[in-house]
Amino acid sequence: MLASINSATLLGVSGHPVRVEVHVANGLPAFGVVGLPDTSCREARDRVRAALVSSGLSWPSRRITVNLAPTGVPKAGAVLDLAMAVGLLVACGELEPETVDGLAFLGELGLDGSIRPVAGALPLVDAVEVDAVVVAPENRLEASLVEARQVHAISDLRGLVRALRGDDEWPATPTRDEVDEPTEGPDLSDVRGQPIPRFALEVAATGGHHLLMIGPPGAGKSMLARRLPGLLPRLDGADALQVARIRSAAGQDLPPGGLVRRPPWRAPHHGASAAALVGGGSGTMRPGEMSLAHGGVLFLDELGEFSPKVLDTLRQPLEEGTVRVSRVAGSAEYPARVLMVAAMNPCPCGGSGAPGGCRCPESVRARYVRRVSGPLLDRFDLRVDVQRPDPGELLDGNPGEASASVAERVESARKRARERGVRVNADLSPSDLEDAAVLEPAAVRLLEAALHAGRLSARGLHRVRAVALTISDLMDGDGRLGPDLVDTALSLRIDPFSPVGPSVR
Amino acid sequence: MAALAGLPEMGPARLRVLLASLGAAAAWKAVSSGRLPPEVSEVIGPRVESVSTTWVEAAHRRPPGVVMDDLIEAGVVVAGRGAALYPPALTDDPEPPEVLFSIGRPVVQNHGPAVAIVGTRRCTRYGTEVAVELGRGLAEAGVVVVSGLASGIDAASHSGVLAVDGGSPPVAVVATGLDVVYPARNRSLWHRVAEAGQILSEAPLGVGPARWRFPARNRIIAALADVLVVVESHLEGGSMYTVAAALERDRPVMVVPGSIRSPASEGTNRLLADGAAPVCGLADVLCALDLVGSGSVDPDKDMTRRPSGCDPADLDVLEALGWEPTTLDGLATRTRLAPVQLGSAVGRLQRAGLVAEEHGFLQRCAGQEVP
Repeated sequence: MLASINSATLLGVSGHPVRVEVHVANGLPAFGVVGLPDTSCREARDRVRAALVSSGLSWPSRRITVNLAPTGVPKAGAVLDLAMAVGLLVACGELEPETVDGLAFLGELGLDGSIRPVAGALPLVDAVEVDAVVVAPENRLEASLVEARQVHAISDLRGLVRALRGDDEWPATPTRDEVDEPTEGPDLSDVRGQPIPRFALEVAATGGHHLLMIGPPGAGKSMLARRLPGLLPRLDGADALQVARIRSAAGQDLPPGGLVRRPPWRAPHHGASAAALVGGGSGTMRPGEMSLAHGGVLFLDELGEFSPKVLDTLRQPLEEGTVRVSRVAGSAEYPARVLMVAAMNPCPCGGSGAPGGCRCPESVRARYVRRVSGPLLDRFDLRVDVQRPDPGELLDGNPGEASASVAERVESARKRARERGVRVNADLSPSDLEDAAVLEPAAVRLLEAALHAGRLSARGLHRVRAVALTISDLMDGDGRLGPDLVDTALSLRIDPFSPVGPSVR
Repeated sequence: MAALAGLPEMGPARLRVLLASLGAAAAWKAVSSGRLPPEVSEVIGPRVESVSTTWVEAAHRRPPGVVMDDLIEAGVVVAGRGAALYPPALTDDPEPPEVLFSIGRPVVQNHGPAVAIVGTRRCTRYGTEVAVELGRGLAEAGVVVVSGLASGIDAASHSGVLAVDGGSPPVAVVATGLDVVYPARNRSLWHRVAEAGQILSEAPLGVGPARWRFPARNRIIAALADVLVVVESHLEGGSMYTVAAALERDRPVMVVPGSIRSPASEGTNRLLADGAAPVCGLADVLCALDLVGSGSVDPDKDMTRRPSGCDPADLDVLEALGWEPTTLDGLATRTRLAPVQLGSAVGRLQRAGLVAEEHGFLQRCAGQEVP
C-alpha cells in the first residue's frame, strides 16, 4: 500500500526534484503530510480529498501518510497536489504502479478535480528526474521549452486517470514553433536632438556600462531610457531560456513563443522595498526586479527618491551578477545581470541644475544628493546631464537615427568584446584592461592629471579606461586609447554631487 | 559688556537699551539679579519674565570673569561702542553694534577707502571670476575689501584679496561667533583671512548660524564700506539686505551686470534697472572712490582678446560655448560635432583653463586661474 511519485518544488528560480511517497494503512482515518510542507502545501490534504471525490474516485477511510522527500528541502505552494492525488490512487490500487512509471506530475488541484497551472513550470520540468511530465494545459508552453522532456497536458483528474489506465489517448501536444515577439519597443528615432544622451545610450548598450542621467523634469530622461532595450542585441538561446525561467518562477506570462528573446525592461517604483528589488521575502522566496531584469535593463527613475538603504542592497548584485538571498528557511540564488539606468533631478526644486539657477538652499540640495551613496554613484560609468531638447530640433521634423541602425553598430562593437573573452567591456578586469586598452603616453599623462586633481578615484580610472575602450570599439578603433577617447570618456562622467559653486580654498 | 552680549536671547536692540539706560556694570547687576529697568522690559515685550529668568540663570553660570578668560584664550578683542578699537565708521551708524568682537590685525580702525563685495552663495563661474578679479584689483590698489566669508561670491572676493602679496588686508564680517566657522567648507579661507587681515562679529563666542544674524551682519558690512559692489544676486538674495542697509547709510551701490537669462543675475540686473551704477571693470569701482589717475591702478584687462595657446578648432568650440553655463549636450547641438571630437576639444579647453565644469555644466573662464 505504498506509492512513490515524481514531482518537483521551486527553490529560487531553479527546481528541486521531490518524491511524493504515499502510504495507506489501517488505523483511524487521517491524512497527514510530512517533509517540510509550507501552509499552502499542507492544505493540499483538503484539496486532494475534494478533487478525488468530485472526480468520482473513491476516498479511502484509512490512515494516509504523505512524505515529501528529501525531507530537508522546504516545499512551497500547491505544485505537489497532483502528485499526492496520483500517489493516493496508486496506493489504494485504483491505478497500477506501472502506469505512473517514468512520469512526473506537476499541478495544483481545484476542488472540482481540475488541474491548474503552477508558477515556475519551466524550472520545475527541468528539475524532474524522469523523461515525461504531466502538467496543466496552461503550463504546456513553458514545460515544452525543456526539450528533453515529453509533456502531457491534461485539464482534469478524471481525464488523467483515463489516460493513465489506457482508456483514452493523451491529448495531442501541438508542436511548438518559435513565434517572434510581436511588440517592438519604442524607437530611438522619436528622440529629437540630444546627441550626447543618445551617444551615452549607445555606449551603455555596447559596453554594458551603467548609466545615470541627471536633468530637470520633462527633459526626456525616461523616454531615452525606455529606448535602451531596443539597442541591445536579442538574447541568445541560453539567456532566453534563463530569462524565461526567471519569469516562470515569478509566475509571469511568457511571450507566445515561450522563450524571451527581447531584453527585459523593468522600472520599479521608487517606493520599492529591498526585497522587491533584489528578491526574497518571507516564506516563498521570489525573484526581485533585479532578477526579472536579468539580461536586460533595470531602470531606476527618481533615483534620489529611493530609500538609501534599498539602493545600497543593489551594490553586491551589481558587482556579482547574482543575488544571494538567505533566510532562516534556506537560501536561494537568482541571476541578476542587469544594465542599470537611473534618472534623477539635479535638486529637489526641479530646476535645470545650472550654476546659479537652482532655488534650493545648499543644505537641501546636499541632503538630496546624499541619498545616493558614493559607492553606488561609482557604479555608474556613464553620467550625463540631460536638458530639454533644443526647440529648433523639436520642430525641424527630422527624425533622429532609428534604433535598428544604432543596434547594428552596438552588435558589431560587441563582437570585439567577445573576442577579448568577455561579454561586454564593463566585465573586463583591471588586468584585462592593461592588455586590451593600451593607453598612449599622452592619455596616461591626462589620466594622471585627472587623478591628481581628485577628479578620479583608482576605481574610476579603470572604468574610464573601459568606457574609452567601448568608444574605440564603436568607432572601429584598434583598442589604442589616445587622449581624445579618454577625454570623451571623462566628459561622459560628470560629478553631479560636488558642492555648489566653484571651490575656493 | 562682553558677558552681557553673551547672554542667551540677547540681541542688539535689547543690549542697546540696557547699556543706554544703565551702563555696562549696572546693567550686569540688574540682569543677574533679575531687576530689569522698565524701559528694558518694554523692549522685551510680553515674554519679559521668562527672558529675565533665563538671564539670571545664565549670568550665574558664566560670570564676566569666565567670559573674559575665554575671550582672551581665543585671542578675541572686544570693543564696545566708543572704545578706541571700535571702527570709526560705525560710531555714527543708525544701528551701531554695542559691542564688536574681532580677531586678527586691527584693520578697521585706520584704513583708506573700503569697498564691500557681496553676492549670492549660489553663484556662477562668471560671478566667481569677477569677484576674484575685483578683490585682487582693489587689494592691489590699496583698497580694503570687506565681505562676509560666506561661500560663493564672498569667498571668491576674499581669495582675490589674499592672492595679492603686500596688498591691503582682507576684512570679513561674519554672523557666527568667532570660534564657529560657518560654512565649514571655508575653514582654511577663514584662517587665512584671520591671519592676513581681520574678522569681525557682533556675535559672542559659541554662537552658531542663526537666520536673523545674517541680515544684521550685512548692515555692518554696508556701514564699514565706502562703496558696495554686488557681483551676483538672485531676486530675493541676502545681498538685497546689504543693498538696503547701504542705501539707508547713503553708501553708493554698484552692481556687476549679468546675463538676463542667468537667475543668479536677476537681482543684480533689477538693481541696475532701479538706477544702481554698473561695474564694467575695476576702473568703475576705483572711479567711484576717486582713485583713478593715482597711478597705482592697472587699466582694465582686454576681455575681447582671443586666448592664445590652443587649437583654432577648439576656439570655435569656445566661441560656441559663449559666456553662459551650457551642458555638453547643448554644446554638441550648437557645434554639430561628433561626441568624440567635442569631448576631446572640451577636455583640452579644460586643461588650458579656458573652460570649467560644474555638475555637467560647462562655463567659459576668462583664462585666468581662480586661486
